[in-house]
Amino acid sequence: MFFRIMTVLGFIFLYAPIAGLIFYSFNASKLVTVWGGFSTKWYGELFQNAQILGAAWISLKIAFISACISVVLGTLAALVMVRFGRFKGRTLFSGMITAPLVMPEVITGLSLLMLFISLQGLIGWPVGRGLTTIVIAHATFGLAFVAVIVQSRLVDMDQDIEEAAADLGARPVRVFFDITLPSIAPALVSAWLLAFTLSLDDLVIASFVAGPGASTLPMVIFSKVRLGVSPDINALATIMIGMVAVGIFCATIVMLRSSKKES
Amino acid sequence: METSPQLHMTQLDPSTQKPWLNGDVKPFIRIRNLTKKFGDVVAVNNVSLDIYENELFSLLGGSGCGKSTLLRMLAGFETPTEGTIEIDGQDMSHVAAHERPTNMMFQSYALFPHMNVAKNVGYGLRRDGLPKAEIDERVSEMLKLVQLEGYGKRKPSQLSGGQRQRVALARALIKRPKLLLLDEPLGALDKKLREETQFELINIQESLGVTFIVVTHDQEEAMTLSTRIGVMDIGTIAQIGEPQEVYEFPQTRYVADFIGSVNMFEGRVKKDSPNAVIIDSVDAGIDIHVPHGVSCSPNQKLWFALRPEKFEITATKPKATKNVIKGVVEDIAYLGGQSVYLVRLSGGKLVRTVRANRDRGAEKPITWEQTVYLTWAPSAGVVLTA
Amino acid sequence: MMSWFHRQLAKHGRNLVIAVPMIWLIVFFLAPFFVVFKISFADIARARPPYTPLFSFEDGRLLIALSFENYAYLWDDTLYIKAYWSSIKIAFWSTVFALLIGYPMAYVIARASDTKRNLLLMLVILPFWTSFLLRVYAWIGFLKTQGVINALLLKIGIISEPLIMLQTDFAVYVGIVYTYLPFMILPLYANLTKLDNTLLEAAHDLGASKLMSFLTVTLPLSLPGIIAGCMLVFIPAIGEFVIPALLGGPDTLMIGKVLWTEFFNNRDWPVASAVATAMLILLVIPIMWMRRAAEEEVS
Repeated sequence: MFFRIMTVLGFIFLYAPIAGLIFYSFNASKLVTVWGGFSTKWYGELFQNAQILGAAWISLKIAFISACISVVLGTLAALVMVRFGRFKGRTLFSGMITAPLVMPEVITGLSLLMLFISLQGLIGWPVGRGLTTIVIAHATFGLAFVAVIVQSRLVDMDQDIEEAAADLGARPVRVFFDITLPSIAPALVSAWLLAFTLSLDDLVIASFVAGPGASTLPMVIFSKVRLGVSPDINALATIMIGMVAVGIFCATIVMLRSSKKES
Repeated sequence: METSPQLHMTQLDPSTQKPWLNGDVKPFIRIRNLTKKFGDVVAVNNVSLDIYENELFSLLGGSGCGKSTLLRMLAGFETPTEGTIEIDGQDMSHVAAHERPTNMMFQSYALFPHMNVAKNVGYGLRRDGLPKAEIDERVSEMLKLVQLEGYGKRKPSQLSGGQRQRVALARALIKRPKLLLLDEPLGALDKKLREETQFELINIQESLGVTFIVVTHDQEEAMTLSTRIGVMDIGTIAQIGEPQEVYEFPQTRYVADFIGSVNMFEGRVKKDSPNAVIIDSVDAGIDIHVPHGVSCSPNQKLWFALRPEKFEITATKPKATKNVIKGVVEDIAYLGGQSVYLVRLSGGKLVRTVRANRDRGAEKPITWEQTVYLTWAPSAGVVLTA
Repeated sequence: MMSWFHRQLAKHGRNLVIAVPMIWLIVFFLAPFFVVFKISFADIARARPPYTPLFSFEDGRLLIALSFENYAYLWDDTLYIKAYWSSIKIAFWSTVFALLIGYPMAYVIARASDTKRNLLLMLVILPFWTSFLLRVYAWIGFLKTQGVINALLLKIGIISEPLIMLQTDFAVYVGIVYTYLPFMILPLYANLTKLDNTLLEAAHDLGASKLMSFLTVTLPLSLPGIIAGCMLVFIPAIGEFVIPALLGGPDTLMIGKVLWTEFFNNRDWPVASAVATAMLILLVIPIMWMRRAAEEEVS
């Protein structure tokens, strides 16, 4: 049907640029219109670029830490929304959890920077901006994404087993760690991965709240590509796409195997 | 609401077998004026109930009658809107679910999917902080009791429905709770398994000496298992009594109709005296003679309840002159051990009667469209005013 | 029996669990908006930070210097109003195109067999996990004058002169539709999988053609999914920065880019704050709308 054609075209649309990136990362020529032969020299250049490597390391650190914080905060938030019923300030809470999902990043970035500066003036912390402020910023919007994922899993979860555990003598905190947590574990993993990816990828917010000397990978990439196509960036892109593809592949295998076990 | 003559109790010593008849025994569970409202909906309405130690008490009713809510309040999963619950003399008002001396067997079994059978069963003991060796010992003891020896390492997903049910039971019993609450314990099992498990449950309860409260909608199950049944209707208890009492002496139409089958003949009091009552029934088409008094106002509307097995059905007109109805057999269901006859009376009412097939291949069996006469023993029916 | 610690935890544990994320969000999400609001009333100054303080003490008295100039400035200088409208227009049409492309895709995926469906879903999600920035960058190579598309079209002979596609509004549309497409497909898919096939069979049985039953049964029932997808594209797209910055031209007006320029290039924090505040106010209603729709979907 017509829809089928659209779908094929749609997928081509989705993947053409990605294919392009991969293709041209192996192009010896800098120009996209000329095929200069197969070459991995851009990869070599990439691994010698201290600026990019340094920024990558910083981005990975930030992503890891902020993802961990997001998962903790987001899970608490999801618990509150799904299991705690009514309480004073619930509407405010609910709004604050969902708004970051659609809030334009320029607004979040600007406002957080203003906050950090005001705080610095008022209480002397944070001193300057850098890793800490970026982590805080990323953890905050990561929280919202984690909360959405964990909420949906909590709602689907069979609550009987939590009651059974309580009935057998487990205090509420115990119930959470013994029963709830193992039950939502897969959701936590995918939530962590999502928060990690979003942090790794963030340009706008990091640009606002970063300080001198703390350049994240997206910031470095952006400054380079503003000037046009850059082949070492193609190489970087291919590596990142490759890692993601491998990751998703492994995840799918794990999921298929575990669902096979259950049936 | 005196509608029945004095009950004749069995020859067993009431004080040990039936503590509810013995005024000296203190109830193990006292429920007083218990009410639970969800917004405007009243799920449990001012229920007061005494349950004695070692009873196997059933809460019986259709969906929405409040029995599960009542059970959950006993377990501590719902907070009563009003009223109190006392277990073994201790007020449960501020006692959280995880501190109560109760354990529950859930309708869905609620086995922990990420733990194997042994870990599931031993969970409660681990929460109590018992040493590992003791836990292991008691777990294998328990598994033996529910006939799941050797299944310790299996995961719930690898068990059949009946096996899961036994794990749930073992898990709930291992802490020797004062009170075991069972929510529709046999609902998910097929008929044969259900019957076997019913007797197993009774044996386990008697050997462990634990008080059981069972919630069920299956009146056969309630009758089989229970020492006493509490029939519930829209948040209140319609009647409490031993199975025989509730079956043979229902106090309301609801109870009579809920337990087993019943034929309800509507009528008005024609003549009332202390030893006999005559009910003019259009349903039956005759005057019904009842051999005892009914306290009611003159000309009051009443119902005469007769269970199917109480009728005698004959093809020839019986010698008796009172309490004889004539009708035509409309339908017959042959069930092997008994036959069900649906008889249409001249007034239009359909009566359900049941007769054991005591003769194999009777010479002149009753057949469709045959004219038959129904009669019953004088005190076989119950007069109901509500 | 419980220790003192456990009893305190039982009493206050619930409030603690609520408080931790609540306080974090109030401090790091809510408070910043108030700070921005406050600064939008200040004047630019050559200082650190580069704006005039609102509160000051002089002779022991509290002086409040509120400057509404920035908002007046926003109103007077048509740039800002034009940028707002332009952003809304671009976001709106991008959403429409994303819907037109995404709906058929979601539909086909939802109706596919189980194994195919998982594969297709994975293919939709995979780009989403790769870097947003890099995917936008990828289009530069495609759209530029000496880029892939032009080279292809020239070679085939469809055109004789390269098309100007980069640094135009067109490129921004392509960029937004491209990067936000998964956000449109996923809610649509989630909604369409829940569609009861027997409803369509009933429609056919009552005499509706395939097209008719789609228009009268499937489409209306997928409305919540459509709304969800559109909100997930439209609202963030209004404030987009990266796409207009990399793919758009100097006359591509989007409010996100304007804010950035105001902040980084002009170093005018108060005006940037005023822009941000105005943007926020503009977006409050769509955001609340989206939340209401999401809650209805859940219930």
